[in-house]
Amino acid sequence: MPTQVMRKKAADNVYHHPDFHGGLSYGLEYLQDHYGPDAVREYLRQFTRTFFSPLRKEIDKRGLEALRDHFTKLYKDEGGEATITLNGNELIVDIAECPAVKHLRKRGHVVARMWSETSRTVNETLVEGTPFAAELVSYEEQTGRSIQRFYRRRA
Amino acid sequence: MISCRDFIPAYSELFKFLENRGGPQAVNDFWCFLSDRFLGNLNDYVASNGIKGCWMYWSHTLNEEACDFTMELNEEEGWFRIFLHECPSMKRLITTDHIEPYHDYCKHCDVLYDRVLKNYGFETTLNMSQCKSARCALMVRSRDAVAKNLPAEGLPIK
Repeated sequence: MPTQVMRKKAADNVYHHPDFHGGLSYGLEYLQDHYGPDAVREYLRQFTRTFFSPLRKEIDKRGLEALRDHFTKLYKDEGGEATITLNGNELIVDIAECPAVKHLRKRGHVVARMWSETSRTVNETLVEGTPFAAELVSYEEQTGRSIQRFYRRRA
Repeated sequence: MISCRDFIPAYSELFKFLENRGGPQAVNDFWCFLSDRFLGNLNDYVASNGIKGCWMYWSHTLNEEACDFTMELNEEEGWFRIFLHECPSMKRLITTDHIEPYHDYCKHCDVLYDRVLKNYGFETTLNMSQCKSARCALMVRSRDAVAKNLPAEGLPIK
């Protein structure tokens, strides 16, 4: 039997590997079980401060418009249904169903007990040190449906 | 939400976080946990199809990750190889200026896959000599292929 060969170049495919959500979900579970809930939040803060540092600078410069653009791209890339409304000093991100939660459930993977922190803690960290605040207004465990709010702090 | 596109930096940062808490052993322990819990699909493919299961598993993941790769399978001789001409994960880490990759990032592949495949009598070899340049090669072989030193070419970086 001859050797089968598959040759692909990067341009042959679109980069979209939703199974990666499973890696993060199990990572959060592991952190919670071995180091406690505060470790999950601390890890997410550390990641956000590091990886999203360019976005945090954009928020300093452009305010909520930078966040609107970030979430618009994020949910477009993920194929999620999102209604994003910027009205003066308030940004509302209304997610009908979290694409990651949907994928994890479809694949039979665990959805981390603290999955909502990928919105709550990440969003709070994105705006720390800026004139804005973040609030996870609602979150539904089964689907990840959520309403996320960013607003200007009172002086 | 953290998009799956941004998972790789999050993964690398998780390794750093774990190492700060518990040293390299803490990272290795997590990799073992992840292998046991998350690689059920690789396990199932190989349990049902033998070494061809590797081809089936990586056909899915390498294409979704838009890798630049060559994959080879010789069922009769009992071996499977992947040449990652450019690993998109490592490339992302080394080309994103404001992040520093976990120093032993690529080792997770070595631990995760071997832990599953050794249960089926396969030996996994990873050539990581150029992994800091986002190039590597992985080989899975049956005991028979190992004994016969197949494939003759071994596992070069291509």
